[in-house]
Amino acid sequence: MGVDFLIGLFLATLIVALFTSRLYRLILWYSMNSLTLGILALLIGEELHDKAMLITGIVTILIKAIGIPYMLKSFSHRFHFVRQIQSEIKVQHAIILIPAILVFTFYLAEPITHMIHGNANYVAISISSLFLSLLLMMEHRNVAPKIIGFLSMENALFLLGITATEGMPMLVELGIFFDLLMAIVVMNLLFHKEEVTP
Amino acid sequence: MMPLLLVLPALIMFIVSFIQSEKAKFLLPLTSFAILLPIVKLFMLPKPYALLGSYLVADRLDTYILLVSSLVGIGVTLALLTLDKHVKVSASAYRRFYRFFAIFWIGLSISILSNNMGLYWIGLELATLSTVYMIKTNHTKAAHKEAWNYMIVGAIAISLVLFGIILMYASAKPILGEDAMRFDLLLSHAKEIPSPFLFEMGFAIATVGMFVKMGFFPMNLWLANIERASFYPVAALFSGILESAVIIGFFRFSQIAMEINYTHLFGFVFAYTLLTIFIVSFLLFRAKDFMRLFSLSGVEHMALIALFWVSGGTFAALLHFGAHAFLKPALFLSTGVLESRGKYRIAGALRGYKGKKGQLFWILVSLFILAIISLPPSPMFFSELYGFGAMIETAKQSDHMLAMIGAILLLLMLLSVIFYRFVAIYQSMKYEGEEEEKRVYPSELFALVMFALCLAALLIPASLDYLRSIV
Repeated sequence: MGVDFLIGLFLATLIVALFTSRLYRLILWYSMNSLTLGILALLIGEELHDKAMLITGIVTILIKAIGIPYMLKSFSHRFHFVRQIQSEIKVQHAIILIPAILVFTFYLAEPITHMIHGNANYVAISISSLFLSLLLMMEHRNVAPKIIGFLSMENALFLLGITATEGMPMLVELGIFFDLLMAIVVMNLLFHKEEVTP
Repeated sequence: MMPLLLVLPALIMFIVSFIQSEKAKFLLPLTSFAILLPIVKLFMLPKPYALLGSYLVADRLDTYILLVSSLVGIGVTLALLTLDKHVKVSASAYRRFYRFFAIFWIGLSISILSNNMGLYWIGLELATLSTVYMIKTNHTKAAHKEAWNYMIVGAIAISLVLFGIILMYASAKPILGEDAMRFDLLLSHAKEIPSPFLFEMGFAIATVGMFVKMGFFPMNLWLANIERASFYPVAALFSGILESAVIIGFFRFSQIAMEINYTHLFGFVFAYTLLTIFIVSFLLFRAKDFMRLFSLSGVEHMALIALFWVSGGTFAALLHFGAHAFLKPALFLSTGVLESRGKYRIAGALRGYKGKKGQLFWILVSLFILAIISLPPSPMFFSELYGFGAMIETAKQSDHMLAMIGAILLLLMLLSVIFYRFVAIYQSMKYEGEEEEKRVYPSELFALVMFALCLAALLIPASLDYLRSIV
């Protein structure tokens, strides 16, 4: 029951993020999305008595729900991001497009769900989250929402890992976190102004 | 001990890159040369050699690819010594380039040597992220834009690969548990996988991600634009090393997919690569500068390697891979000299080279250009012969001989378009335009000579025997 509610919340936070036109709100919704994912990992880890997933859940909350949103906000202050982020897709079109993506994904994932035991519907939700994250990247021209789209995509893949495989090996999970931090470092460097001195 | 030795030169390079002294400029290339030593040692050891339990295992395939990549790395380092003579590059950007090159090398080594799908992905992601900043060492608006493009499109491509890996892992987890991440176990238990459809779906998604990363359909111009905007050595690294890490993943995944359903794998890769070559041949025909020309030609060759590999021509694929890994960086590095009178001046680009150094340069570049279009005695000539032979052999075992002959004829027609374009460009470079004096620096020449020797070494009987024994 709790897992169903959290999966719904995970999807809901992503959908709300798609309609957001303010950067800080978008960061907040990303943080909420990550928090739901972290709690979800803790709940499923507890259910499966999987210590590795419990650790991953805690790391998710610490890094993705707190650390990365904080860093993104500080980048925004330091590099003067445009905070009014207008979507390229009109709201009335997005209202039709998002449910269409959800229905399409459930149809697309139907053959896979027969092969996965347990949380079969969650796989469809994680794939639809992947498509919605791609939509988030596509609907904005500014770099910051694109980054959040990329990070949300990573969350969707993480959800797929939890639900389709009941967790990936600990080493792989930690490696993915390391790469995510590396991505943040590279983004920070990319935001820096061009050096002028030869 | 061996894993530490493998990453030690890269770690030293990373630390030295923080030293703000003129001496660092000489120390950094030395650390880059040191990368080769542990790899040669690894090459000599009996295979398979467990480097780190079952996580990192050196076999004949990955040590060959690692050896080729380290030689390319040395060539790139040599060209970097005189990069500031051709383009404006700051001392700090130079140091940062090496800093990220060190991270790139660690990621690449993990990716190439890994026996675990997850580790392979982590290494590839690390290598991809480190190249983002290398693009930005060129301080232009175009490079800045392309660095972001690379970051975003590269992230999408790499996410597709992870998506595919998760599905492949999920398909084999019921029988292998957490060991379903291991390439060797997946290969030996491929026929027992309970959900082959799930595996195939994962393979298809991961392959699309890897193909997008190499500039295949529908992202044909993506890589070309990025390589145009970055410095020449970065383009050389992309084509000579990063693509090696991607293609080894394709080799590993496809070996397992072959065991599950060969017909599905062959049909999918065959259609995809043919479509890519079809588009790339016409894009090549319209290319108006060296970087885009060489970059698009790289896409064509990677498509051929993938095609030969799934056709069962593993020897042809590996020979083609080695030849491409040496030829393409050599051409990208020589672009620095060829474009010294302007980016879009192809006519007369091979004229105006005085002295012994100049003469050797234009002769080598001419040979490389003719070798990339598979004129004998280029290793590519032999690899293509063997590759097409393997395709015919595959068709013989099926009921589609006529379709295969038609496809090979179409492929030859497309390759002849590319051949025609390269010959026309070569003639324009050599016989048209004004003769303007151009300067070649010893380090660049040394890099080209090294690549020429490596290409010649590929054709030695012992090398060919080694390649035949890999798979």
